[in-house]
Amino acid sequence: MSRFFATGSDSESEESSSADEITPKAPGATFKQSLLLSDDEEDTKRVVRSAKDKRFEELTNLIKTIRNAMKIRDMSKCLEEFEQLCRAFLKSKNIVDKEGIPPFYIRLLADLEDYLNQLWEDKEGKKKMNKNNAKALSTLRQKIRKYNRDFESEIAAYKENPQESADEEEEEKEPEDSGSSSDSEGEVSSKSFLKKKPEAPSEATKFLKTAKGSGDESSSSDEDDDDDDEDWGSDQSGSSGETSDKEEGKTSSMSVLFLKKAQDTEKLGVRKEERKKKLKQKERIEEEAEEEGGEESGGGWEKVKGGVPLVKEKPKMFAKGTEINTAVVVKKLNEILQARGKKGTDRAAQIELFHALAAIAAENNLGQGILVKIKFNIIASLYDYNPNLAAFMKPDMWKKCLDCIDELLDILFEHNNIFIGENIAEDSENLAVSDQPFRVRGCILTLVERMDEEFTKIMQNTDPHSQEYVDNLKDEGRVCGIVDRLLTYLENKGSTEEICRVYLRRIMHTYYKFDYKAHRRSLGLQGETKSEQDQEESEGEDSAVIMDRLCKFIYAKDRTDRIRTCAILCHIYHHALHSRWYQARDLMLMSHLQDNIQHADPPVQILYNRTMVQLGICAFRQGMIKDAHNALLDIQSSGRAKELLGQGLLMRNMQERNAEQEKIEKRRQVPFHMHINLELLECVYLVSAMLLEIPYMAAHEFDARRRMISKQFHHQLRVGERQPLLGPPESMREHVVAASKAMKMGDWRTCHSFIINEKMNSKVWDLFPEAQRVREMLVRKIQEESLRTYLFTYSSVYDSISMATLSEMFELEMPTVHSIISKMIINEELMASLDQPTQTVVMHRTEPTSLQNMALQLAEKLGNLVENNERVFDLKQGVYGGYFNRDQKGGYQQKQSYQRDQKSYQQKQSGYQRGGYRNQNQGNY
Amino acid sequence: MASRKESTSVSSTAMASTGGTLDSPVKQIQIEGLVVLKIIKHYQEEGQGSEVVQGVLLGLVVDDRLEITNCFPFPQHTEDDADFDEVQYQMEMMRSLRHVNIDHLHVGWYQSTYYGSFVSRALLDSQFSYQHAIEESVVLIYDPIKTAQGSLSLKAYRLTPKLMEICKEKDFTPEGLKKANIGFEQMFEEVPIVIKNSHLISVLMWELEDKSTVADKHELLNLSSSNHLEKSLQLLMDRVDDMSQDIVKYNTYSRNLSKQQQQKHQYLQRRQQENAQRQSRGEPPLPEEDISKLFKPPQPPPRMDTLLIAGQINNYCQNVKEFTSQNLGKLFMAEALQGHN
Repeated sequence: MSRFFATGSDSESEESSSADEITPKAPGATFKQSLLLSDDEEDTKRVVRSAKDKRFEELTNLIKTIRNAMKIRDMSKCLEEFEQLCRAFLKSKNIVDKEGIPPFYIRLLADLEDYLNQLWEDKEGKKKMNKNNAKALSTLRQKIRKYNRDFESEIAAYKENPQESADEEEEEKEPEDSGSSSDSEGEVSSKSFLKKKPEAPSEATKFLKTAKGSGDESSSSDEDDDDDDEDWGSDQSGSSGETSDKEEGKTSSMSVLFLKKAQDTEKLGVRKEERKKKLKQKERIEEEAEEEGGEESGGGWEKVKGGVPLVKEKPKMFAKGTEINTAVVVKKLNEILQARGKKGTDRAAQIELFHALAAIAAENNLGQGILVKIKFNIIASLYDYNPNLAAFMKPDMWKKCLDCIDELLDILFEHNNIFIGENIAEDSENLAVSDQPFRVRGCILTLVERMDEEFTKIMQNTDPHSQEYVDNLKDEGRVCGIVDRLLTYLENKGSTEEICRVYLRRIMHTYYKFDYKAHRRSLGLQGETKSEQDQEESEGEDSAVIMDRLCKFIYAKDRTDRIRTCAILCHIYHHALHSRWYQARDLMLMSHLQDNIQHADPPVQILYNRTMVQLGICAFRQGMIKDAHNALLDIQSSGRAKELLGQGLLMRNMQERNAEQEKIEKRRQVPFHMHINLELLECVYLVSAMLLEIPYMAAHEFDARRRMISKQFHHQLRVGERQPLLGPPESMREHVVAASKAMKMGDWRTCHSFIINEKMNSKVWDLFPEAQRVREMLVRKIQEESLRTYLFTYSSVYDSISMATLSEMFELEMPTVHSIISKMIINEELMASLDQPTQTVVMHRTEPTSLQNMALQLAEKLGNLVENNERVFDLKQGVYGGYFNRDQKGGYQQKQSYQRDQKSYQQKQSGYQRGGYRNQNQGNY
Repeated sequence: MASRKESTSVSSTAMASTGGTLDSPVKQIQIEGLVVLKIIKHYQEEGQGSEVVQGVLLGLVVDDRLEITNCFPFPQHTEDDADFDEVQYQMEMMRSLRHVNIDHLHVGWYQSTYYGSFVSRALLDSQFSYQHAIEESVVLIYDPIKTAQGSLSLKAYRLTPKLMEICKEKDFTPEGLKKANIGFEQMFEEVPIVIKNSHLISVLMWELEDKSTVADKHELLNLSSSNHLEKSLQLLMDRVDDMSQDIVKYNTYSRNLSKQQQQKHQYLQRRQQENAQRQSRGEPPLPEEDISKLFKPPQPPPRMDTLLIAGQINNYCQNVKEFTSQNLGKLFMAEALQGHN
């Protein structure tokens, strides 16, 4: 019931306002008129209506006034009335509580806000406004904004479904109107009502005029328009003058109200139009004027009526009947482009527009040039869709983008006569179909690069353990395909620089992938019964060959250092990945990257770290334990491998960096499918360290100056020792620690079983492409190093030991044992000699006694002492006399004697070294 | 220590009545065999390992000779009898000894040592208080380990007059020591020792020597050396470490000091310039401020410990030198014997 009433009253108010609209010619009078009208209504209805209705009527009246004020752009009036309205609304609060907020009230609020925003954005109009009005406008705008916050949900609901109310209105109206005017008229008026343009009163009037034109006055003259404008202007100034006396800061607006409606209908259709309209207001006005002039009836209306976007859009782009040619399309294109990047531009709509434009161009056979141009712009605006750098493309956008690029490439391949380039000036473009080849500005390479980056971004922002990631990853094939196509294209057309860039892209997509085909082929397996597809696949070029070709081109042709650096690193990575250790190492050494990599930008540094790590792992696979250790040392010793490889952020640093830095760092992360397994990395490192450190520790058990080879490894050992109860090893680290302990005792079998077992296989070793080979290598290394450790640790217990026994103990062949022991003897690590006839190792007891050790330590300490003393003395000299009251000469002599002492001490040391107790460098290991 | 000082002051007054202040310093110490045996016994009974035993020496001064005729040990006290009155005990002891007609004049104290490590702050302090009260008093250092190796090691030390001065003033700052011009060599002086037995005892010894079979065991000729040397080196090394630390400390101090001096200097200069400027402008000069308040000189590290450490190191070195030279001789002897056989 109440609702009905509410709408009823609402429609009435609308009615009256529509009446206003119909008589816009005398705006000065409208106000009064409307007032009169409402008065009449009140009179007639008062008898029937309840308190609620009264209240609502009051509101309605105020709203009416506001709408009028809006119409004539009287801001101060608007403001005044708005305040009254608010008060009135408060008064009727209890009723509102009972009945709900009346929809007409909400409508007013929404309309008013939209109107104000529009006025606000209309810089020109604002300038023209007088001071009071402008002031009132800003105040009102703020007020309404604040006020509307309370009604957000309602307004939103209304905006979503404005039709409803409009429909209701119509329904109401029709019966009323039917009496006085014909159906068509009613329709027209209602339409015009809907259509009312928000932008400018002039427009609104025009519509009204047309409405009238069709109804009462068949032709409305421009003069009238002018008159109206003038009238309004004077009215505005007059009213503002009035109000300014009382309330300076207030403003009011009137004509705005309709706008809402217009907007709403448009919103249903295409929002962007509005914007465009704004841009091209004048143009359109002309157009419309033309149309109006030309076709008074139905035809003209079609356009106006167009609630459906498509119908409306097209005419928007090109006036009907316009001959669509290249020039026009380009013009349109530029128009659309101008909106780009502006605040408030609807990017999605822009993309739509471009598509439509493309369709039109295609329809009209404007040639490939223009099509290419539009495609460029589509892709560019697709990239633009996300306003900030961190956000990534939505899947559908992404698909669209891929499709677009594909199509673009299709066109480019099909039509050889299209030249594209960044350096083609806008005005030297040749888009029209002619004998000359097309010239289009734009860089396909940049687009593809950007696409690649977007792809990375998508991968970075997808949860790597979800199905979604896999789905996204499937696009990698397409991305590669596009890069490949571009590559072929550019190889024919592009400059060297461009080729370098696209090559680098190609390399970036290749270097981290293990080439299973080539691997299989190298193992000689491809002859087996494989499916045809497989064979087909294996016919493709080896990735190694491709890498080689591309990289070499870049080495030769590239002039920017960065691309070459990246190419080299990728090349090394690829080599290392495929176990071509020597090539990888040589390339790394030749590039001298180690010297200056710290000057490179972070992404390159990350790539460098990845490469070094891969190099280390490769060395490990090849059994070059020492090289592996050295390569991994830098990354592992910092304990930040994760961060250094760009595979994740460390929580520890969270406080240190601010949000901005974090964002940057996040952008640097390597996508998950390119990650290097960190556990594998650590395991390789620890095992290498174990193989180096354990024999070394055994050899230098008593050496006071023993240095650690690997701090990390020692740390792990210490952690292991701290454990009060040692259970069987669980994690990879525990396995390595347990193995180290076994090795320390020379027990290679236990060590072996700790390093290579089910758990470790599944965790680490099976991740290698040639797992079996690696395992074999590892066993052998363990045997050898255990033998060395055993000899170091227990040589003092033996007088002699037979090599046969050793070879049996460590399951090594005699020659190997022989060579290991010989090496140790030569390096003076083991004091022994080989007795050839009996095949035994005869030990020579030459370790320093503990007394000798002690004496050495003392000597060292004394050296320190002397050094410290010297420092004191240096300080003393000159300023203060010596503490020991030495005179200058005495001090000097003393010093000399110190030096002598030191020298003799050094001699002692070197003599000792000659004796061979001192550890030799591990170098020749 | 204070308590001990008290007790000694009592005895010193007693002594003063007999001989007055020393005209000539003691040049020699004569020890009764009884005292030596008592000290050795004391150590063997109570001091084991690195434990140190102490006791009181009794005797008197004759001309330039200090005769030590008797001694008694300080009882080893445990945590339980913390309220044990040492002074009371000493007085009682001395009174009792006097009753049996034994010399009861306090002339110093004895202490056992572990590998010659006795130069310490504690020793310095007590010796100082002794010497302060009784001028002729000495400290007897008994080295049981050396003795066990076959040669009795007993040494008498006293503080040099210079060190006495310093200790009296309690000025251990670098400046003070510098002024006193003292090095570790001049801290302690050793007094030669003579062991004297009565004729009766000598006769007994002769008699016994003939009868005893024990003398066949010659510890003296033991060739093994590393154990002793190792210990010595270990101790030496510890001292050297301490020394290093001290030096570093001192180094820091002097650096701080010089830095501050520089700052002070700069400050003064700036002040002067400002004053000059003010003068030229006709303004009154800035009021003088207490510079020492602005620049508090850093606390100088006490140097006495360093000196003591140096002395101790010196001591160790002497020991090692002595020991090795002896051992070397023994080794040559052994070689010769080997060759002879």
